[in-house]
Amino acid sequence: MATTTASLTITSADLVGDALSLSSTKELHKAGTTTGLEQTTGMTTLHLTATTQLDIFPVLPATPAGQNKQAWVYICNKATDETFYITVSIAATNIGRLYAGDYLFMPYSQIAQKADIEITPNASAASTGIDVEYTMIHEGLTYPTSGD
Amino acid sequence: MATINANFTLTSDIGSYGMTVQNDMTMTKAGSTTGLDKATGLVRKTLTSTNEVDLLTQGAGVVADVAVDTFSSKLYIKNVNSDSSEYFTVGLGKASTGAAKEDFSVADSAERSVELGRLYSGDFMIIPWDAASDENDVFVKPSVATNTVIEYMVFFE
Repeated sequence: MATTTASLTITSADLVGDALSLSSTKELHKAGTTTGLEQTTGMTTLHLTATTQLDIFPVLPATPAGQNKQAWVYICNKATDETFYITVSIAATNIGRLYAGDYLFMPYSQIAQKADIEITPNASAASTGIDVEYTMIHEGLTYPTSGD
Repeated sequence: MATINANFTLTSDIGSYGMTVQNDMTMTKAGSTTGLDKATGLVRKTLTSTNEVDLLTQGAGVVADVAVDTFSSKLYIKNVNSDSSEYFTVGLGKASTGAAKEDFSVADSAERSVELGRLYSGDFMIIPWDAASDENDVFVKPSVATNTVIEYMVFFE
């Protein structure tokens, strides 16, 4: 069994009257257990040059084998120009925009068909080119078959 | 303007080579280097049923005063329970009405929603939040009717 640990610390000295410091650390486990996740897609780096919406995690079959197994998604916009962003969506529903240097880290349920995760660069990012990194750590990712 | 840093690390011995991710994000307003300067404060809520409830509702003047989707906002959510078998589901969709959920492939209905994932005890997540979309209320649904304690905070402009 692998041990994967995620930590997040949010700090600000001047957001509110007193200093803000919020820390969370958690080992990533299989659903409902204390057994560590053992599979990953690896870290992928893309250089995108169009505003085309892309599936970075694909459209699922009607009854995904990975449904409700635990999975975690990390996506990072590696751009340094603050006007460059990607819109991240799931099943064509916008989650939000990742501006330069922003990331997200979230669980992913693979609940049903069409629950794909998509990214879309904005026009200025696409015209120059934008680097995006992403990975998934999971206990079973469903891929579409060649017939899907 | 404020300076808000969110430092994320992921370390793993998964696979033959393991994995390390380290990223320090400074939360900025959309398309600028100016820091976000508003927040909801850290909210702590205890849920005592398995009903689906809206944690955050979209739109100006509700929780996060994010009027348009060209604004930037970040959402942090944590399950602070300790039983590893218990979780709550986090999703995006229109306001919970108690009516049957419609599949997210349905274009524009009152019950359209999509599940993001499950936060088991101790799990946390951080995502950008397109709070201006009328499909983007954030809902949660506990797996058990005993106390499920949720903490969340929104940073926005």
